[in-house]
Amino acid sequence: MDTLGAHRSPAKAFSAGRFADKNFKYLTIAPAVFLILLIGLFPLVYTLMVSFQNINMMEVDTSFSGLMNYEMLFEESRLWLSLGHTLIFTAIALPIELGLGLLMALLFLERLPGKQIFVALLVLPTMMSPIVAGAVWRLLFDNRYGPINQILGWIAGEPVTILWTINPDFVYPAILIAEVWQWTPFMFLILLAGLSNVDSAQTEAAEIDGAPYWLIFYKIIIPAIWPVMAIALLIRGLDLFRLFDVVYALTQGGPGTMTETISVYAYVQGFKQFETSFTGAIAFLVIIMLTVIVIYALKKMELVEK
Amino acid sequence: MARITITGLHKYYGNHHAVRGIDLDIPEGEFAVLVGPSGCGKSTLLRSIAGLESVNDGAIEIDGELVNDMRPRDRNLAMVFQNYALYPHMNVYENIAFGLRARKTPAGEIDKKVTDAAALLNLDLLLDRLPRQLSGGQRQRVAIGRAIVRDARLFLFDEPLSNLDAQLRDEMRGEIKRLHQEIRKTFLYVTHDQIEAMTMADRIVLMRDGIIEQQGPPLELFEKPTNKFVAGFLGSPSMNFIPSALVTEDGKVSVKFEDGTTLLLPEDRQSKYASQAERQIIFGIRPEHISRADGSDERVGVEKYQSVIDLVLPTGSRTYGTFHIGRTPVVAELQAHDVKGAGTALALLVDMNRAILIDPDTEIVI
Repeated sequence: MDTLGAHRSPAKAFSAGRFADKNFKYLTIAPAVFLILLIGLFPLVYTLMVSFQNINMMEVDTSFSGLMNYEMLFEESRLWLSLGHTLIFTAIALPIELGLGLLMALLFLERLPGKQIFVALLVLPTMMSPIVAGAVWRLLFDNRYGPINQILGWIAGEPVTILWTINPDFVYPAILIAEVWQWTPFMFLILLAGLSNVDSAQTEAAEIDGAPYWLIFYKIIIPAIWPVMAIALLIRGLDLFRLFDVVYALTQGGPGTMTETISVYAYVQGFKQFETSFTGAIAFLVIIMLTVIVIYALKKMELVEK
Repeated sequence: MARITITGLHKYYGNHHAVRGIDLDIPEGEFAVLVGPSGCGKSTLLRSIAGLESVNDGAIEIDGELVNDMRPRDRNLAMVFQNYALYPHMNVYENIAFGLRARKTPAGEIDKKVTDAAALLNLDLLLDRLPRQLSGGQRQRVAIGRAIVRDARLFLFDEPLSNLDAQLRDEMRGEIKRLHQEIRKTFLYVTHDQIEAMTMADRIVLMRDGIIEQQGPPLELFEKPTNKFVAGFLGSPSMNFIPSALVTEDGKVSVKFEDGTTLLLPEDRQSKYASQAERQIIFGIRPEHISRADGSDERVGVEKYQSVIDLVLPTGSRTYGTFHIGRTPVVAELQAHDVKGAGTALALLVDMNRAILIDPDTEIVI
């Protein structure tokens, strides 16, 4: 009786099987890699292409226009102002989130009754969608019906009508409060995990060595949690650089463009002014800046082995 | 230099009574070893002395000064931890210097002390290394260096050798003992390894279930244990415990085994047990006190026993042979070529001078 293999050239069947065997791992991950490239790389490349064209609401000719959009970036002062706003938010919110998160984590390091319930409650803000959190804070900050003015009124003993989302003196604090409220728990959670992994024998050894608590904290605990802390700072730093939801929900970048971050600016340019190609250039500028920052930060934080 | 006096010490972890009334007095310059099975409270006792654990009741005094509520850093002691607890991001030099810097020692003095300690411990060439670049034994030495550099009055060791391999452990045992001879400070050393305790201690404090079972010089505990636990804990292989009875034959007290054999007690122990006759006992004898009968000399108090060896464990210099008395396996320490294999019939000599008799109910040596 004839077998199937007898019809084929044995050598060829052998080599085909060998190829599949040798490259089995690549063949199995190929579909996933392809999908990731499609949804990850394609928009990036497409944005780059768009940024070199001239697509907007006014023009009929959308053909290739060289570096025109990039030249426009440097002439647009609103862009650089929004970049400044972004840096202000980051520079204020990041240390506050780190400090508060660290403080809370140290507090929760001790064994407390009901600790897990408290931790779960504290982490709730982070689980909320940022745009929803922004909307909630908008209601809380409402000048007439918001509970915040109400409570301040009780304390002050007279009605308080602070225009949190309009008054130039209060918009930054309002956005920062909402931002810190939502993201401090993230820092807290990560630092708590870091702190619980600090070898207690090391702090005990330092204690016996005669070090006061601040020295143990500074010389033993911080270096021990540094890798975790650095990652948390990096993640939050990048998030803050792209700050959008809370600002958009609370002030839409206003009053005027006073609280406009780079993301809000890009959104306005892209989806309100429909300066599509110019927005592509903004997006690429942000990508380049973030890439430089991340590479520099990773080096500085010594997270990458030299 | 420090004398440690502990009176009526109690420590609870929730409902667990970890240390149950410890009284201990360790004179200045002594090398004391706290030993016992895991969970016996020895580490808790050490950590209480260090100030890393608070105590529920009792007093800890160092040089007559009550230290119960004193912070660890004010007690002026040094400690070596089981996992070394080196600071991973500091090099060897900084690790050793940390305690001096914390205590604001002048820089020149720090340098001299660190260099001296490094020389003493053979760490001179490793001062720039990070802990993770060191071997286990080197890390151990850095941990010891960190302790000795500080001129503390009391040195605590919490199972410092248990993470090392056997050969290194032997070596470090000697080094720590030599260190003690050189600096002559009070050492308090915790281990679960009875050989470590025997070889290093001036005084062994043997603990079980939060209390001290017996304390004293190693040989005293080894030769004159007060109860079955102490007798069984020290020595390797451990002491044989054979259920038996005290009987009187012709006015002489003997030990009678389950198989009916009787071994006469030596002359000088006769009077002590004369009144105890006709009672159940546990007969305790160490393997090294059972040897092969060579028929030449019959020493006083050495009795003959006819055995059939059913298991042979050669170790090179010695061979341990196991035989059964009734259902109880008994180990005898034989010379390397005394026994060929399992099933050998062998006449053995039991040194009754070294045997101990234990009350089976209280487990106290009678």
